[in-house]
Amino acid sequence: MRDAVLTLEIARAKSARGVRHRRFVDRSATTLLWCAALAVLALLTLFVGYILYLGAPAISWQFLTSPPSEVSAGGGIGPEIYNSFYILGLTLLFTVPVAVAAGIYLQEYARPGAFRTLVQFSAESLATVPSIVMGLFGLLVFVYLLRWRFSAIGGALTLTILNLPALMRVTQEALFSVPQTYREASMALGATRWGTIWRIVLPSAVGALTTGVILIAGRIFGETAALIYTAGVSVAAGKGAYDLNPFRPAETLAVHVWYTHAESVVPDVARIGNGSALVLLVMVLLFNVVARIVGRSLTRRFTGR
Amino acid sequence: MQLIEAQESTGLKMDVRDLNVFYGSFHAIKDANLRVTEQMVTALIGPSGCGKTTFLRALNRMHDLTPGANVTGTVSLDGTNIYDSSVDPVVVRHRVGMVFQRANPFPKSIFENVVYGPKIHGERNRDALLSCAEKSLRRAALWDEVKDRLFRSALDLSGGQQQRLCIARVLAVEPEVILMDEPASALDPIATSKIEDLIGELKKDYTVVIVTHSMQQAARISDITAFFLLGDLIEVGTTSEIFTRPKDRRTEDYITGRYG
Repeated sequence: MRDAVLTLEIARAKSARGVRHRRFVDRSATTLLWCAALAVLALLTLFVGYILYLGAPAISWQFLTSPPSEVSAGGGIGPEIYNSFYILGLTLLFTVPVAVAAGIYLQEYARPGAFRTLVQFSAESLATVPSIVMGLFGLLVFVYLLRWRFSAIGGALTLTILNLPALMRVTQEALFSVPQTYREASMALGATRWGTIWRIVLPSAVGALTTGVILIAGRIFGETAALIYTAGVSVAAGKGAYDLNPFRPAETLAVHVWYTHAESVVPDVARIGNGSALVLLVMVLLFNVVARIVGRSLTRRFTGR
Repeated sequence: MQLIEAQESTGLKMDVRDLNVFYGSFHAIKDANLRVTEQMVTALIGPSGCGKTTFLRALNRMHDLTPGANVTGTVSLDGTNIYDSSVDPVVVRHRVGMVFQRANPFPKSIFENVVYGPKIHGERNRDALLSCAEKSLRRAALWDEVKDRLFRSALDLSGGQQQRLCIARVLAVEPEVILMDEPASALDPIATSKIEDLIGELKKDYTVVIVTHSMQQAARISDITAFFLLGDLIEVGTTSEIFTRPKDRRTEDYITGRYG
C-alpha cells in the first residue's frame, strides 16, 4: 500500500507538470531572497544618503576643530571628536587584554564543566544588559562611590564592562575557527600548550580577531547611553578640552548628538546635530572598511599566503 | 622467521602492557599488549572503528588532548612508562613523533614548517635551521621539489608533497619513534608509493608504527603486523606469518576479505 503511494508520488514528480511546478517554486524562492538582500542594500543607501544630504552643509574646518558653544550659534565639535577617540583608546586598552585572555582560557584551556558553564553564562547575561542600565551602574560606582565625578576613565570602564562579553565571544569564535589539526600537529612535535597557542593558534586567528576588535571599536565609538551619566555631557573650556588627564569630563561625539537635540539651547541645534551625525557615521563606516582591510592583510602576513 | 626471533634480533623500543583506552564510557581498547621493535616497521591493521588509531595515539600521549579520553596500563619507551606522573608528555612527543592521516602543514612557509620543531626546542641560529631544513627535506625526498620555493606557503604544495613535508617536519625534531596514522590514505597511487619508499628508508634509523587500512600496504612495507578487531588486539606476528599462516580464525577471515 505504502509502496503504491510512493510510486504515485514519484510518477507525479517526474511528470512535466511536476517539473514545472518545482522549477516555479525554486525560482520564486530565489527571487524572494534576492529581494530581501536588495532591501538591505537600499535601506543603507537611503539612510547614508539622507544623513549626507542633511549633514554635508554643516561640515567645515571650523566646525570640525572649534569647541562647542553653550548658548550662541556657531559651536563646533573639535573636543568631542578628540574625546571619542580618547575614550575609545582607553576602553580598548582595558577591554582587549582581559577579553582576549578570558577567551583564550575558555576556548583553549577550560574543560567542559561547571566553571566554564558559569563563566559562559555570566558573559551571556552581561551581554544582554541594556547600555543605559550599564550607564546608571557606572554613575553609582565611578561617579558617586569612587567620587571621580564625570570622567573619561569612568566612561571607558563602563564601556569596558559593556563590551567585554562581545569581545570575549569574538576571541572564542576566532580561536574556534582555527583547525584542530594545527594544534595536534604542533603538540605532536613536542610543543607545549602555550607554545602552540602563541606560535600557531593566535597567528592563524589574528585576522579574525583584528576584524572583531575593530568592529567592536565601531560600536564603542557610537555608544551613547552608557556615557551620558559617566563621561558626562560637557567638555572643559579652552585648551583643557584636549587634556590627556583621564579624570575630566569628556563628552563624546555620539553623546553630543543626543545632547544638542535633547538639552541644548543653542539656536543652530539642527546644524550641529546633522553635522555631528554625519561625522559619526563616516567614522563608523571607516572602522568597518578598515576592519576588513587590516584583518585580511594580517591573515596574509601571518599565514604566509 | 618467528616473531620472537625477529624481535630479539634487534632491540625492544616500546612495550605496551594491558593498555585500555576509554572515551567516556566507551571502551575503545581492551587489554592490548604489544612489543614494538627497534628499526622495524610495525603495521596496525583492522576494519574501520577497530581501535587501531586509538591505539596509535596512546603511544605518544595524544589522548591527553582529547577531553573525556582515559588511558590505563603502561606504555614503556626504553623501559620508562610514558604515563608515569613524573614524565612530561611534551618530552614524550619530542621522542615519539606523529604523522597524521590528512597532511596538516601549518599555514606558514615550507621552511617555517620544517624548522618549527627545532625552533620550539630552542634553536635560534639561522644557518643551523637552514641546514636542518635541507637535511630533513632531503630525508623526506622532498628537497629537489621545493628547494627553490622554501619561503613560499606550504599550503600551495600538492597533497602528496604536503604529507612528505609533514614527515620532514617530524624528522627535524629527530624523534626515535615515528607514528603514522594512515599517512597515504588521502593520496593517489604515485604519491602513495613515494611515501611507502620513504618508510622503507626511514626504518634504517627509526622505529616506525603505522596504521593502515590497506592490507597490501601492510604486506609491502611492514615487518610486524598487529590485527585489531572491535577494540581487541587479536593477533601479532611477523608480517609474513600473519598473511600466510594466521593463528586466529578472525585474522584469517579479515585478510581473506570476509570482513569489511
